[in-house]
Amino acid sequence: MDKAQVVTVRGLRKAYGDRVVVDDLDLDIPAGEIVGLIGANGAGKTTTVECIQGLRKPDAGTLRVLGYDPVTQAGELRPLIGSQLQDSALPDRLRVAEAVALFGTARTRDGGELLEQFGLEQRRRSAFGSLSGGERQRLFLVLALLNRPRLVILDELTQGLDPAARRNVWAAVRQLHDAGTTVLLVTHEMDEAEALGGRVVAMRGGRVLDAGAPADLVDRHAGTATIRFSMPDAPALLLDQVRRLDGVHEVERAGARVTVRGARPVIAHVGAALVRWGSVPADLSVHVPTLEDALLGLLDGADVGGDVAEDRELVGGRR
Amino acid sequence: MNTAAGRLIRAELKLMTRDPLVLTFVVAFPIVTMLIIGGAFGTKPTVGFDNTNPAHWYVASYLTVVIAAVGLVMLPVHLASYRERGVLRRFAAAGFPRWSFAIAQLVVGLITTAVACALLLAVAAPVYGLPALHDGWRVGAALAFGAVGFVSLGVLLGTVLPSARSAQAVGLLLFFPSFLLGAGGPPPHVMGSVVRHIAGPLPLTLLTNAVRSPWLGLGPATGSLAGLILLTVAFTAVAARRAVL
Repeated sequence: MDKAQVVTVRGLRKAYGDRVVVDDLDLDIPAGEIVGLIGANGAGKTTTVECIQGLRKPDAGTLRVLGYDPVTQAGELRPLIGSQLQDSALPDRLRVAEAVALFGTARTRDGGELLEQFGLEQRRRSAFGSLSGGERQRLFLVLALLNRPRLVILDELTQGLDPAARRNVWAAVRQLHDAGTTVLLVTHEMDEAEALGGRVVAMRGGRVLDAGAPADLVDRHAGTATIRFSMPDAPALLLDQVRRLDGVHEVERAGARVTVRGARPVIAHVGAALVRWGSVPADLSVHVPTLEDALLGLLDGADVGGDVAEDRELVGGRR
Repeated sequence: MNTAAGRLIRAELKLMTRDPLVLTFVVAFPIVTMLIIGGAFGTKPTVGFDNTNPAHWYVASYLTVVIAAVGLVMLPVHLASYRERGVLRRFAAAGFPRWSFAIAQLVVGLITTAVACALLLAVAAPVYGLPALHDGWRVGAALAFGAVGFVSLGVLLGTVLPSARSAQAVGLLLFFPSFLLGAGGPPPHVMGSVVRHIAGPLPLTLLTNAVRSPWLGLGPATGSLAGLILLTVAFTAVAARRAVL
């Protein structure tokens, strides 16, 4: 195994009965990166990370995680991974401090410090069943970090959290990354993947559709930036100038409403043209394509049996 | 004792004390039914009870009702609930050693059984008196194998049944016929031959015979003890495989 790779997956396949959930998947996760697995529900993300943790036995394929085989060496591997699982819980009557004591050992981090870092210090004596959704997720994060993991796997980490709690959790994940921990993030929240993911891997039907930096995926699959403004009696000369700007794909006019579509640098060129013309419309608006647009574009255009990812330099790629 | 199994045992025992109603079935049910049926047949030795005091016959039988209640009802519901809610997955993902949870459940099940049996005897003693122990070693061996066997069966059921509700339904379905036919129900002499044949090989019947006969001096019940040991080995082997994290 390449020492720089924390996770190497080749030809992973997993089926439940007749339903193939992960199909011939390859994935590489380099040390110290944040990698986001994105895709719609049922894309195979959770099953993939469960195989990586040794919680499920693959039907085919090879996996190396931190130098261990999750199938045959799960006992050695699991203590090295910090894991926050989707759809899991603790006994309702177990108190927060007791959970930390239960999951900690003599060699683990100071649980009190982590509880303070994640704003749970005041809830030490509260039962798990009485915690809010956000508090539960933060407690799971505390438990995941207790053993100073080299790889942290976070599955739908911020599901159900309010915006402030999400940002707190994102900040904690960035701290982990800054400290050199490798993070594998499973999410269908595109803003989360975009905010945290150094690289994202888009999955569908158990396969990798494409992978790369969020901005690269947006460029490849999200189409164009759109600029809209109103200009009654817009002069033909101005529209002609805009049409001839670098990167402009089309200019539409419907009554007073003007729509310009093109590559993202067009936003600056159109703005500059309007300033030069001496009239900046008050309702000027810009839509910049997002990772969500890219994923929708990918899913719309995806032929799962096709070759979307083959020519890319990928974090993950379909064989 | 800061091993993973030790931490799990401590946590499970604490949780049990916080939810005492969970123990109602394994503590209160055997005591109440023993008091009722023990008084129904009086205290005069009769032929139908192998010339023993009927109340003592039932006192010697009801420890096994506690064991069956723990193994067939309490543990399956508890474990199935953990599986259903993803608690076991969390333990597994956190790197708890593979056998730690199975060991913890075995120890907690045995502690619960011991406490419930002690309470039953504490209630029986002033009401009916405790029957003299004729062969303590055999009784002790039968109780030990029976407790381990039924706890293992409970762990096995909890890992197989899909939800806490189904575990409760199946557990009660297994418990009550076993209880009525093999331990705390009517004495065998009032049962028809077909019912006696059905009751004979049930695990709880084997356990009850293996405890009651040597306790009351009715014989060693070697066949029942041997059958019980075989079942215990089988249940424990399968449960250990199923309960690995």
